Amino acid sequence: MSIEFETLRGTLEKKPPVRLQVQDLCVTYKSARGPMKAISGVSFDVEPGSNFGLVGESGCGKSTVVKSLMRLLPASATTSGKVLLDGNDVLAMNRQQLSRVRWAQIALITQSAMNSLDPVFTVGDQIVESIRAHADVKHAVAWARAEELFAMVGLPPERLKEFPHQFSGGMRQRAVIAMAFSLNAGLLLADEPTTALDPIMQDQIMSRIRDIQKRLHRSMVLVTHDIAVVSETCERVAIMYAGRIVETGPTHDVLNKAYHPYTMGLQNAFPKVVAKGEKKPPLISISGGVPDLANPPAGCQFAPRCPFATAQCRAEEPMLRTAGNSLVACHHMERATEFRRAALKAETWRVEETLQ
Amino acid sequence: MRAYITRRLLQAILVVFVVTTIMFFMFRIMPADPTTMFLEGGMTEEARQVLLEEWGLNGTIWEQYVLYMGNLLTGDFGNSFFYRKPAWEVLFPFIINTLWIAVPGLLLGAFIGSALGMIVGWAPRGGKVERSGILLATIIRGAPSFVVGIGLLAVFSSYLNWVPGYGMGDPQGQTGLMRYLNWDFAHHLILPLCAVIIFFIPENLLLMRSGVVEARTEDYIELVRAKGVSEKRVAWHAGRNSMLPLITWLFPALAETIAGIVVVEIVFSWPGVGRELVLAVVRQDYPVAQAAFFLLAIMIVLANLAADLTYSKLDPRVAYK
Repeated sequence: MSIEFETLRGTLEKKPPVRLQVQDLCVTYKSARGPMKAISGVSFDVEPGSNFGLVGESGCGKSTVVKSLMRLLPASATTSGKVLLDGNDVLAMNRQQLSRVRWAQIALITQSAMNSLDPVFTVGDQIVESIRAHADVKHAVAWARAEELFAMVGLPPERLKEFPHQFSGGMRQRAVIAMAFSLNAGLLLADEPTTALDPIMQDQIMSRIRDIQKRLHRSMVLVTHDIAVVSETCERVAIMYAGRIVETGPTHDVLNKAYHPYTMGLQNAFPKVVAKGEKKPPLISISGGVPDLANPPAGCQFAPRCPFATAQCRAEEPMLRTAGNSLVACHHMERATEFRRAALKAETWRVEETLQ
Repeated sequence: MRAYITRRLLQAILVVFVVTTIMFFMFRIMPADPTTMFLEGGMTEEARQVLLEEWGLNGTIWEQYVLYMGNLLTGDFGNSFFYRKPAWEVLFPFIINTLWIAVPGLLLGAFIGSALGMIVGWAPRGGKVERSGILLATIIRGAPSFVVGIGLLAVFSSYLNWVPGYGMGDPQGQTGLMRYLNWDFAHHLILPLCAVIIFFIPENLLLMRSGVVEARTEDYIELVRAKGVSEKRVAWHAGRNSMLPLITWLFPALAETIAGIVVVEIVFSWPGVGRELVLAVVRQDYPVAQAAFFLLAIMIVLANLAADLTYSKLDPRVAYK
């Protein structure tokens, strides 16, 4: 048995990180009010072994992107474009190819660890199930692997025999993380892995994911609305709004030298850590909500909430263009320096409210 | 756990006591006199009194009640007015006959019904499988319970003449277990058994289906699918979770089951306890009817207990203290 276990570990350790290329991904949901374009022309690359952040407010389509990468969307969704894993298109795979790729190459840390585990099976059996679906090993071997994974996330191995309801929220999230690493998949999708937890737990879990990532050198797509987490974790980031990428580039550039008004607004809405003596900037929210995707506005999707919007913005949809190290979809990115200064003032964003 | 079972058993005794009491008085206040049914005309008043005493029908109703309950504690159900022998001796063979159609019927009905329910629940929403499955289940469920039996009789017995349509077959001098272990008995058994199975399929099917439909949108199903296991395995996770509501329904529904089996027994002239119960009420054979109701009460109470205990086995979140 121990030989079998070493063989399993050996093959898992040899797995290279995966290169992910998403090209022109579009997702449309059928709804009672007609088709809803949840994702329009999203493209991004994740270099092997790097972390990529996907940021946006609720309802911007982040989770839809993640689910479409694993083809987990419901039947009411139609997907087009390409999702290339080391060059193989996930969207073109047949059922058999797909189930071979799932978990072995792309694993998932879900958003709601509370409901992500089947309540009637032990946590250990659920991890074992993920291993044995892909590796031809005995139950005991897979169980030994599960024990190893539990140790990695800091859970006592004897708790594998317990059911999900016997775990606290934080423990469940750690169990889900352990499961995501069960086959050492080359690409990890982390869909708001800490949203359901309290701030102390959030930090613990995030640093654990970062540590394991660093040690195992996997590729990761991290979905979050927390800019701080992204700046700590990801080399590159994409800001999403209404199913589109509005700005993407190296994390440092995007967060420090934003070109898109939405990115600026998003940063305003997050508390910042400031040096002693420096004045703490106020939190400013962006008024209004995401547009109705069944009946989207003409032109730039952000225009109705944008304090700098012009007639051109309301008529013509902006394409992604190069700005510095980033790609930005804004008609007026040349005026970014001026916008950045104005965006820091609360009045700039309040004006919008009276307009609406 | 032990404390829980003890508590439940004490409750069960109370329930059975209440049911027995109600049954006793219900038969006594019915506006009929069993003696007029069994006594031949022209019997002297003296002879009638002797019989009444023998049957425990003399004295005030309270005296009768105390006597009956006292006898019951010693396991004496009284003598059947009709058969003129102990009620228990009368009922026992009928109970065995009923078990032959009830137990396999119920188990197969639940198994086939839930398996079909899983298929229908897992099929695409609004597709052909789902629509025809629901339609069929609703039709069977909606039709009066004797319709299925009569339909089966008409087709397989009258028209095709494959199986006999009446009774349990001739024992031909066989006794004991050999009475049942022969081809003739199986031949007679098959049609009523099918009727019981068909009677139980729809509710199992519909319950299982709604459970699966609910479970398939759960987050854990999505994660199971993400693990790359076969679609059958994913469906199993949904089905396993849907068993919980099914079990809660299944055991207590035994009461309803009995109503269904009574109809099957009557349609197929199957000499079972349900049919005998109906006959006993018609004949005003109090001891037999009361004994049968007493057994039913015990069975239903135990079934409920069994449901709770099974549930705790199926759902790890449930613990009894």
